[in-house]
Amino acid sequence: MAGQGKTNLISLNGILGLISSFPLITYILEFLKDLVINMMKTAPVPKHIALIMDGNRRYAKSKKLALSEGHSAGADSLIQVLNTCYKLGVAHVTIYAFSIENFNRSQEEVETLFGLLRNRLSLLADNEDSYARINKIKVRIVGNKSLIPEDILQDLEAIEAKTNNLESYRVLNVCFPYTSRDDIAHSVRTISDKVAHDIIRSSDITLETLNENMYMGADTPPLDILVRTSGHTRLSDFMLWQANDRCVIEFVDVLWPDFKFLNIVSVILKWSYYRTLEMEEGYHTTSGTKEKKISSPDIYANLPPPPPLASVTQR
Amino acid sequence: MVESLVRRKSGTNGTTIVVGRTSEAEKIDRRDRGEKEVTKAARSLISNFLHGGEGTGAAGQSGLNLVLFYVNHAILLAIFFLISIYKNVEFVYHRVMLKFLTLAYYPNKTPQLIREDVTKLNKIPRRISCILNLKYEDDENGGIDGLVNDISELAAWSLSAGIPSLSVYEYSGAVSDHLQQLCRSISKTLSVYFGSDSMPSYCVRVPHTNTLIYNINTENPTSQAPPEKVDLEITLLSRVDGKPTIVELTKTMSELVNKELAVNDITVDLIDEELVELVGKEPDLLVSFGPCLDLQDYPPWHIRLSEIYWEQDNLDVNYAVFVRALQQYSNCKINVGK
Repeated sequence: MAGQGKTNLISLNGILGLISSFPLITYILEFLKDLVINMMKTAPVPKHIALIMDGNRRYAKSKKLALSEGHSAGADSLIQVLNTCYKLGVAHVTIYAFSIENFNRSQEEVETLFGLLRNRLSLLADNEDSYARINKIKVRIVGNKSLIPEDILQDLEAIEAKTNNLESYRVLNVCFPYTSRDDIAHSVRTISDKVAHDIIRSSDITLETLNENMYMGADTPPLDILVRTSGHTRLSDFMLWQANDRCVIEFVDVLWPDFKFLNIVSVILKWSYYRTLEMEEGYHTTSGTKEKKISSPDIYANLPPPPPLASVTQR
Repeated sequence: MVESLVRRKSGTNGTTIVVGRTSEAEKIDRRDRGEKEVTKAARSLISNFLHGGEGTGAAGQSGLNLVLFYVNHAILLAIFFLISIYKNVEFVYHRVMLKFLTLAYYPNKTPQLIREDVTKLNKIPRRISCILNLKYEDDENGGIDGLVNDISELAAWSLSAGIPSLSVYEYSGAVSDHLQQLCRSISKTLSVYFGSDSMPSYCVRVPHTNTLIYNINTENPTSQAPPEKVDLEITLLSRVDGKPTIVELTKTMSELVNKELAVNDITVDLIDEELVELVGKEPDLLVSFGPCLDLQDYPPWHIRLSEIYWEQDNLDVNYAVFVRALQQYSNCKINVGK
């Protein structure tokens, strides 16, 4: 019975897929998407979104596909999400491509992952008419570059150089190999080095100094939304420093290859809804607290003057 | 400056007010900053939309764009209106659910009941951390008294569940000026749960001021010396234990460079060692008792792999939330990098 239900579902999906591949339907769908995006542009839009793309392997397993197909389904999903974000006006998107802890996986898988990443990025950025070039996206490798093998590092740096044009105002930060603790340690190390070379004084070190010396650099706006797919509710050493204050963390119970236009739109819509409320509330609460501040002190001093004092003993 | 002042002076009664005021001012300052950002964002929004398109030159085009902007914005506001209805319905649903859960999981101040809830799970965290909110003085269970109550209850629950380490994070750190009141309240709550004769031992630690208090048994005051093993270690954390501590650490390290320390010696392990010393170990489970997930500047170094739990629209410290957090933790898979 269950098997029958499953096959029915797949065929339904198949039919839907077939329908949505007709040119007219695709056109209408794209038109609707643009409509939604234009509508959302009129509300506050986040400046910086970070993504933990979790669930490629589980997706492949559940669909009985090869591992690489799971990863490529994830890459398709990423393109869709990036497209939506950039169209909306989110200038910075950060993705967690590879964690330093991932080096614990088998040598073979690490190498395939590296190869995959290099191929995807070069597909994204190599040619004159590739996605990143047309959309003016600057690709940046964020993370501990000393851990990347020499040949791959060269290719990645070539991609970085190719996309680093003056007119590219959108940024795709690829965290590779990255952990947030390593990021903080890197910042501390850089600052200490600067102090040792008398570039800054140690008494001038503030929160800002640490922010500026992170891998992401000073020109990256603070993180607004962090999305983690596949339902795990932990940060896994990603953006700890950036995500712990004034940032919305969304744990979505969807595998990454299934994370599509509607999912990212609903996440952003929710953010702008709360942001709008905050804007409205901001006016009320701040004016309210100011009044409260004035009215609270010293009742005794504000009492009206008493009648003149008189004593029975007139002396 | 303010922090060092606080650090130097904390302890005496007069400074409680000073500390309270600085944190309050900080909060308002923070909100003001946020508001300024928001108004700026609002202003730039329209111009963004108007000039975002390709044709910015023609006046007729910009007029059309303006009309389009208002049409789109009207649709958006309609959607926001629908969202707000949905959120209200959801809020009622969550509150009813929570009420039901509170009835279902009522601990009844009995450790055996709590232990029974926990023995069904296949694992529990070694260290649990809770984010609490300081409510307004006038609210129910609000102010310092409310916080102290909540912490005492949490301590009793942790002990009953068998968790040896509890850390409590509150943004302003206001409780650390009322340690005596806190200890009295914890002892009282524990004696209600466990009976006054066989009260478990505990200690309260405030890493920022470097204080450590063991509970002093009133019946035999001779046992002033710290016992070898405490059943529960309570750590009080606040905002200063987070990023400001890392800033301080950076200052110290940068001064030591080229004297006792090479630049390349500053590694993740070294910083981790120092921060474990200064703040404490990374919690396994982080429970936020707020209506939505807001980390409130929680020490960033310490939430690396912590499982995070919160219950939507929950407004207070609640045993049902505590137990559900433990249940989720027992179901999670621990796999670093895999």
